[in-house]
Amino acid sequence: MRKLDYRALLDKVQKPARYLGKEINAVHKDPDDVQLHIALAFPDLYEVGMSHLGLKILYALSNNIPGVYAERVFAPARDMEELLRAGGLPLFSLETWTPLHAFDLVGFTIQYELCYTAILNMLELGGIPLRSKERKDGDPFIVGGGPGAFNPEPLAPFFDFFVIGDGEEVLPELLEEYQRWKKSGDQQRISFLRRIASIPGIYVPSFYEPLEKDGKFVGIKPLLSGIPSKITKRTVDLEHSFYPEAFPVPYMKVVHDRAMLELFRGCTQGCRFCQAGIIYRPVRNRSIPRLRQLAGNIIARTGFEELSLTSLSSGDYPGIEELVDELKEELEGKDVQLSFPSLRAESSALKLADRVQRNRSGGVTFAPEAGTQRLRNVINKRISREEILGAAAEAISSGRNHVKLYFMIGLPTEKDEDILGIVKLVQDTLAIYEKRDKKNRGPFRITVSTATFVPKAHTPFQWEPQIPLKEIRRRQALLKREFRPLRKVDFTWHEAEMSFLEAVFARGDRKLAPVLEKAYRMGSRLDAWSDKFSFSLWKRAFEAEGLDPEYYTEFQPGYDDPLPWDHIDTKVSKEYLIKEHRRAIRGETTGDCRVEGCRGCGIKNCPGMGVDGNLSL
Amino acid sequence: MAIYRYRLCFSKEKEMKYISHLDLQRVFTRALRRGAIPVAFSQGFNPQPRLVFAAPLAVGLEGKNEYLDLYLTSCWEKEVLKQVLQEQLPGGLAIKTITFVDLSAEPLSALVEAALYVALFPSFSEQYVLTVADILQAKEIVAVRTGKKERKVDIRPFIYSLKIKNDSGGAQLFMLLAAGSKGGARPEEVLSLFPGGKETAKVFRENIFLRNGETLLTPAGETYEEYLQKVQLFLPA
Ligand code: SF4
Repeated sequence: MRKLDYRALLDKVQKPARYLGKEINAVHKDPDDVQLHIALAFPDLYEVGMSHLGLKILYALSNNIPGVYAERVFAPARDMEELLRAGGLPLFSLETWTPLHAFDLVGFTIQYELCYTAILNMLELGGIPLRSKERKDGDPFIVGGGPGAFNPEPLAPFFDFFVIGDGEEVLPELLEEYQRWKKSGDQQRISFLRRIASIPGIYVPSFYEPLEKDGKFVGIKPLLSGIPSKITKRTVDLEHSFYPEAFPVPYMKVVHDRAMLELFRGCTQGCRFCQAGIIYRPVRNRSIPRLRQLAGNIIARTGFEELSLTSLSSGDYPGIEELVDELKEELEGKDVQLSFPSLRAESSALKLADRVQRNRSGGVTFAPEAGTQRLRNVINKRISREEILGAAAEAISSGRNHVKLYFMIGLPTEKDEDILGIVKLVQDTLAIYEKRDKKNRGPFRITVSTATFVPKAHTPFQWEPQIPLKEIRRRQALLKREFRPLRKVDFTWHEAEMSFLEAVFARGDRKLAPVLEKAYRMGSRLDAWSDKFSFSLWKRAFEAEGLDPEYYTEFQPGYDDPLPWDHIDTKVSKEYLIKEHRRAIRGETTGDCRVEGCRGCGIKNCPGMGVDGNLSL
Repeated sequence: MAIYRYRLCFSKEKEMKYISHLDLQRVFTRALRRGAIPVAFSQGFNPQPRLVFAAPLAVGLEGKNEYLDLYLTSCWEKEVLKQVLQEQLPGGLAIKTITFVDLSAEPLSALVEAALYVALFPSFSEQYVLTVADILQAKEIVAVRTGKKERKVDIRPFIYSLKIKNDSGGAQLFMLLAAGSKGGARPEEVLSLFPGGKETAKVFRENIFLRNGETLLTPAGETYEEYLQKVQLFLPA
């Protein structure tokens, strides 16, 4: 294969460090010497993609398999894209500058809805036909994974297949099938797809067809015999699964510029809006000795100055304090700071933060999510006003000069009094600061960030609509007005139109695919970046395809209605989601199954379900 | 605790020319941690590893002789330090020499007085000789610097020396420009005075000069004249 020389381009772009591919721990192999050449694609800029743990796991895991070479490719920034298009050059991988179309497999991590057009852009820039049915023998197979694969329908025509759930085990199985297929002499794409369609966790969308009756979706039907009608997600045994130690170390500052240690996967807090809490069930821990060993090796191999203890709710790790002490001991003298990505608004969480932080004057982040107890009960955020204020008081008295509070607006059943509850909570936090003796209090700020609720597939709120756009704007305006007089408060909010578009695709179906293609053709690229996002463009794309986006945001199906993502099985039962939805409407909370015993979410052989029904994790 | 001060001379070439100064500092601190090299930390609220670079190099330029003072808490053999650190550095960063420096000497960055840039033109032109003469005779040369606010700067006082050399393969321009905290001229500002200079010439930073009383010396102790003679021998044809 002719290697292209992209060096001339590097002198012309604003941030060449994005495209070098020679970072410490980047893997270099000869592509001609391997049986399977994979491009791991992340549909966002380098600095975002390089902050993503899943990509790093797959990168190291694939490259550990003899005969496999995995390289990275990220969405090009505008300047690079223009240079590529002007020069007629294909999008290339970072390590060996191989054009995307020359790979055997291109695997996209699908992390959020607003990256969908970036996927199309990367395919086309890479010289790959957009739709799977247009691809010829010899073109790469396009595979998608990550949370976005749990509602794959809006992307279905563009992908050859999806991997549902943890990728750690599927990859070696795929490789095996790939080699068998290559050896078989039958080089037709469809034969390979047939072979893998029955591997658990693999979904080949072209083998399934959405059915309608009187214009109404009634289900998805397999078109071949012998393939499953439901695709069940894969879950690995985390303790014994692969975890990378030699992360590539970026040269430029990336969003999360640190090493990551994944303590556990899954979360049993049960927040009802949260998709991750469902799709990563059951909770699986890594043991303290394993984590300690990993931590030491990761720092020795990467030299990062910070090690983040990542998980959905890291403070819930059983024995977290012991773990922190052991990690500190392991990293003694190496000048490495431990950190937590997020903490619950509890003083125990704050103590944990104190345990790892040298410098206590910085900020602390809490996520109460809703402003009143009633609404927190609805979403199952089981934390009281006293606990939140208690934690804030402790943060302030320990000298922190910045408290960040995260909330959501537009949650199911939300009233204006809940919105005003946010303001009240912030005022009460401020009052704690102002009550302190003027002499020994330093400067202080509160940042209030509000996201807009997006109903997600596979959650108890999948039956709920999103509030209308103008209502989002009204509630944001209400908050803006209330916060304006508070000088110590910075109020930020997510753009209403972005949340709206997220909601369209989060519960979207296959009919949305042409809209995606249209929006891409009209120039939509990195929509997750507010400076690059154009809502009017999207509106025109919907109009051109004759679809009403509001149908999707306002969609309020009944419990018996088939949903476009029902064929993807998270192992959590629909009955459980219905039960949870009903409890939400009644304002009843559901306890954490790790603490209060199994709630019967439907997971079979849950590793946590002990004899007494209690989680033994 | 005893502290040991080492001066590293390294080159920053190939892909590494795209790494900004801030990023370069991180590249070194992470390499030091991987190599378990006992670097000293600054005092204070937010201790930082003690590394002092001579002078930041603009993104996109290669540096043949760049310098860094490194402070360690234990005394390592220079050769051992060189080997251990080099193993941890990415390709494009090569340690050339390591010397001991007196702990009480002024910080490296404060000593920097000038930098020698070399521009290679693909062909020779009489016009270059005239331009050099014009620049050296000029009383004032105004460069416009953009940024948050547009600024006009007289760069003439920052041009210490200019030499053009005719070669069968092309022309070589040696620019000794002021650098350091008192301000300086940028190589592209000087090059833009030459016809087609910014487009055709390939520039790199050859070395750094420190103040030593009234004279300028490379960190290795050579005078500008000595150094210029040596450098011309090694330049690519
Ligand atoms: S099966 Fe029971 S214990 Fe396991 S995650 Fe579900 S509710 Fe929790």
